[in-house]
Amino acid sequence: MRFGVGLWCLQSTAVSPRHHVEAYRQLRTDARVVEQLGFGDLWLSEHHFFYDGYCPSLLPAAASVLAVTERLRVATGMLLLPLQDPRRVAAAARSLAQRSAGRLDLGVALGYRDVEFDGKGVPRKQRAGRFAAGLDLLEATAGAPLWVGGATPAVIGRAGARGHGVLLSGANPVALVRDLASAHRRGWEQGGRPGGRRPPVAALRNIWVTGDAAERAAVLAWVRASYVVYAGLGWSVPAQGEHAAMDFRRDMDRALDEAVATTIIGPAPQVVDELAALADAGVDHVVCRVLLEGAPQAAVHAVLRRLAEQVIPALATVEAA
Amino acid sequence: MRLGLRLPAGGEPEAARLAEDAGLFGVLVDAAEPGEEVVVAAWVAAVTEQVRVVVRVALGCEHPVTLAEDLAVLDNIAAGRLVVVADTAALDAEAALEDLELLRRCWSARPVRHTGRRWRVPAGIEGHEAPDAVAVTPEPAQVDVPVWLTGAAAPALSAATGLPRLAVAPSESSPDPLVSPALGALAGEVEADRATVRAYAAAGATHLLVSVPAGDVSGHVTAIARHLAGEAAMPDFPRVVTETVPPPWPPAQGSSPAEELPR
Repeated sequence: MRFGVGLWCLQSTAVSPRHHVEAYRQLRTDARVVEQLGFGDLWLSEHHFFYDGYCPSLLPAAASVLAVTERLRVATGMLLLPLQDPRRVAAAARSLAQRSAGRLDLGVALGYRDVEFDGKGVPRKQRAGRFAAGLDLLEATAGAPLWVGGATPAVIGRAGARGHGVLLSGANPVALVRDLASAHRRGWEQGGRPGGRRPPVAALRNIWVTGDAAERAAVLAWVRASYVVYAGLGWSVPAQGEHAAMDFRRDMDRALDEAVATTIIGPAPQVVDELAALADAGVDHVVCRVLLEGAPQAAVHAVLRRLAEQVIPALATVEAA
Repeated sequence: MRLGLRLPAGGEPEAARLAEDAGLFGVLVDAAEPGEEVVVAAWVAAVTEQVRVVVRVALGCEHPVTLAEDLAVLDNIAAGRLVVVADTAALDAEAALEDLELLRRCWSARPVRHTGRRWRVPAGIEGHEAPDAVAVTPEPAQVDVPVWLTGAAAPALSAATGLPRLAVAPSESSPDPLVSPALGALAGEVEADRATVRAYAAAGATHLLVSVPAGDVSGHVTAIARHLAGEAAMPDFPRVVTETVPPPWPPAQGSSPAEELPR
């Protein structure tokens, strides 16, 4: 099992205000800590037109991280491809991949906020077509491994068929993760096994290592606050077959409870067991979501150290089922 | 007049650090392809602390809102050191003016609402209830990001906006604007380069970005600092001050009278 860390969103929120210059400086500091602790990758996240300055421009942020690290991979999780000119994205990615000895991972997704499409003048009904055309161009010219973000078996299966990795949402319950991971594997096999080696299934998970009741309560409050931000952005998880929707607009308290319930939190042996269960569900790669709304940088660095010392070594030889 | 370095393609971060160590005011990122400029500039910003990060951006290659977002993020990475050279590229004066005005409007911290020949923001696309303005965030770190103009439509844009043009010859420089930036080329030969620098200074340029011959960037930057920065900084620069060669420290073994120091 491989481990990354996320998601850096570079916000200055009502709850955790800071100057944006400091946000980008902390990103560079965090990146060096993440690299020293031995994590494989760092993931950035994109949105537009939100009051808190949520990062709208991932590749410049990725460049600033690649500039101050030597081994760490930097991934976009996810770059909203229909909102941009893919030729420009490809040129930026190609330059970064070449300058960083191939340490860029290019994750792309559709985007879901109406206001973002309207602000950029992209009709929402064009998003799938623009995404597909953009992906073709990136595949041919970006020079970086491609990942796709999605929540439906169709999208995830298509990514597998093209040999692209996938990143699954942190709010997906394990049963849904299992279905999506198997859709990805089936897609890859039915697509003629492009690349010769199965591309990775990564899962974003809210994870915290602690045996302390007070710390546990604080962390769960931070997780909850993080989903309140996404509720503010208008995000929700659509229903999938037998898996119910997580709808922050219709029933916010219930959706928040469900999202918080996906958190893997406890003493190290418990966290190891729950991550092993994710591997059993078909996950190759976990992106530990420890950047939570309200969590101080010192707490984040402390839990990264616990993960690196007490959890990751126990899972080094575990492989996805 | 102050001197800056046009960074050589491929070796931008290393050259930028040399320029910073040599006290130059800024460095120019001038990438070949649209998209590359903002990531190379972000890389340069992350490995420097003081130099102005000057980046040439072609208008018309992206939605001005997207360019504004990229450049605002870049200004925050650079802690407010960004200077944008807006290249009118393939746009005519009218189109370039619309793109430039929308771009700068996005940095204003006001809600953005724009209707022009090329763009409508928000687009008001049929079928959903979008607000009638968007907040383009984050804001740049600077109160007002400096914009210098280049390209075929630069004179018209400069006249319309009052923004300075980037001169590419002493004859294009003017002593009138408060900031009069220029781009020049050094030959790597002290007498010729002194003449080049003096010509721009005499014409009224305030910030001259220079390219250097390929190879030995370190040597060229050292020569700029020693022989040209002073030439640019004051009239009748006393060249005698460039001739001092400080001894190395710590001194090489046996070359200093260490044993004669008082005990």
